[in-house]
Amino acid sequence: MPENMPEKKSYIGQAWLVIVLAFCFGGALAFVQTTLGPKIAENKRNETYSVIPTLVPGAATDRTEELVVEGADGRDVRVYKAFSVTGEHLGWVLPARGQGFADVIEVLIGQDAGLETITGMYVLAQKETPGLGDFIRGEDFQSRFAGRPAQPPLEVVKTEPVEANQILALTGATISSESVTTIVNTAVANLRDVLATHSGSHAPE
Amino acid sequence: MSDQPTAAERFLNGILPENPVYRQLLGMCPTLAVTNGMKPAITMAGATAFVLIMSNIIVSLIRGLLKPHLRILVFTLTIATFVTIADRFLAAYMYDMSKQLGPYVPLIIVNCLIISRAEICASKQSLGTAVADAVGMSLGFALALASIATVREILGSGTWFGINVLGTGWPAWGIMVLPPGAFLTLGLLLGGAEWFGKRRSSRAQTG
Amino acid sequence: METVSSLILIFIGAALINNFVLHYFVGICPFLGVSRKIETAFGMGLAVTFVITIASILSWAFTYYILRPGAPLPVWVWQVMGGAEGATVDLSVLSYIMYIFVIASSVQFVEMYVRKFQPKLYTSFGVFLPLITTNCAILFACLEIMKHLQDPTRLWGLHEALALAIGGGIGFTIAISLMAGIREELDLADVPAALKGAGIALIVAGIMAMAFMGFTGVDRGVEQALAALIGR
Repeated sequence: MPENMPEKKSYIGQAWLVIVLAFCFGGALAFVQTTLGPKIAENKRNETYSVIPTLVPGAATDRTEELVVEGADGRDVRVYKAFSVTGEHLGWVLPARGQGFADVIEVLIGQDAGLETITGMYVLAQKETPGLGDFIRGEDFQSRFAGRPAQPPLEVVKTEPVEANQILALTGATISSESVTTIVNTAVANLRDVLATHSGSHAPE
Repeated sequence: MSDQPTAAERFLNGILPENPVYRQLLGMCPTLAVTNGMKPAITMAGATAFVLIMSNIIVSLIRGLLKPHLRILVFTLTIATFVTIADRFLAAYMYDMSKQLGPYVPLIIVNCLIISRAEICASKQSLGTAVADAVGMSLGFALALASIATVREILGSGTWFGINVLGTGWPAWGIMVLPPGAFLTLGLLLGGAEWFGKRRSSRAQTG
Repeated sequence: METVSSLILIFIGAALINNFVLHYFVGICPFLGVSRKIETAFGMGLAVTFVITIASILSWAFTYYILRPGAPLPVWVWQVMGGAEGATVDLSVLSYIMYIFVIASSVQFVEMYVRKFQPKLYTSFGVFLPLITTNCAILFACLEIMKHLQDPTRLWGLHEALALAIGGGIGFTIAISLMAGIREELDLADVPAALKGAGIALIVAGIMAMAFMGFTGVDRGVEQALAALIGR
């Protein structure tokens, strides 16, 4: 039918610009992805890797291994096994997340190779109250976790701590402090058994 | 075609008389979201400027080939591509800022300012005028973001660009860096801009 | 049961605690532009919820199967074309383009539906219905879903994406209806001339945002209550 033929032709005729642009832009994006992709992936990696030496003292970033293990709650977790420059297994870095006061808090927990001490804690992401709860990402609060025993579970106190497993709460941010402590306790207990099976110094060449 | 604004007019228009935020009320979402500090505000203004200028260039170059009922599609495709490029660039070279700005960089795609400039100016005028328009609007947008961010950052954290300006005695008005502070600041500054504009025009009438 | 509790948390989070308009600043343009009368505002809220739901289903499906790093479909195509075993294909650079086209299509679809089945509503919306395409809230919902499809150990299913999208849409509806109710009263009040219109609306929004900040910590309480319920 004569009416349909010109219509069909004009669909492509009208859309040719969009198609050509799609190809050009697609090519541009592919170029951007190939050039910038590796840089972005490296940035993401460094977010975690650059903190590992602070969490596990003596660890060498370029000798860290990544493992995906299944926690006691049945969920997979990507953990980081920290080695020294000589290949000695120094400790573990566990990512953990949980509900804070305002929103989800993401942390990294450092543990020694024997899983007996918590060697450090670092807050990756939080949205707590500015000026109160968001001091959990300060050096002062994070250092309160270094050198604590992994068992019994840590507890938060508002006065000067007496026991080894007590953490002093932040003034005016008790719930944020308790949230972080709960996240640490849960993650440590969740991964204790499975990490013990992966211990050992067999550093990658 | 001679009744269309010239390049110089387009450029000056975008800075104050037709300021994207204070006059046209466009691009509210990033205006409120990233102005809790000067650094994110300027970064966002830079990213928007990049997308606006590139989009105006491309649209102006192909303006003779645009079919009327497909032009919005073409605009959207162009803008989305450049926003992706800007977003990737930030993630590669300013990673911390990229994380802080979060989803607001891709939201530049739905910033009505860019599509409206493509529709009103770039699709109808030559390359030079389109670029002037884009640069003017970008400056106006940056000015608006900077003015709001200055108020919010100084009152909310006592800093400007991260440098402490109010000394340690100032109790930071935390609310200013939170959502309510954004709305209140923009509302009051808008009122201020309206008031100045009315005074100017009534002076011009009586003078 | 744990899934249901996490869905409830995502829903309440998106609707009340992290309200799309008052906490994330998305959807401001219709929030200021369409909030003069309660009926129009409520209708706009429902239209946005409708579009968000469709758009989020489509964008979840596209992201899960095609766009995310390691998605199954491009890997299959790659292997069919003779690529290496065990390669991961990352098409996420096309995400934003994909989302905006999904949103534009969803709005077209909703527009056709409303024009056919609710012609009165269609005329009262006027130009604002196609403008939903530029509503930041919908793209924001898609971006949030994409954020939760990046980590292979913690991928969101369609149910979680829907909980976020519908929660966000309902939150937007609540915010815009509240604003319309207040503005109907404001029309009779003595507002200073410079603040009339957008100025006073933003100040009211600021006070509303302050009120909604009171919801902070509610998800913690709800989580504990639900955990106690499940544990029982």
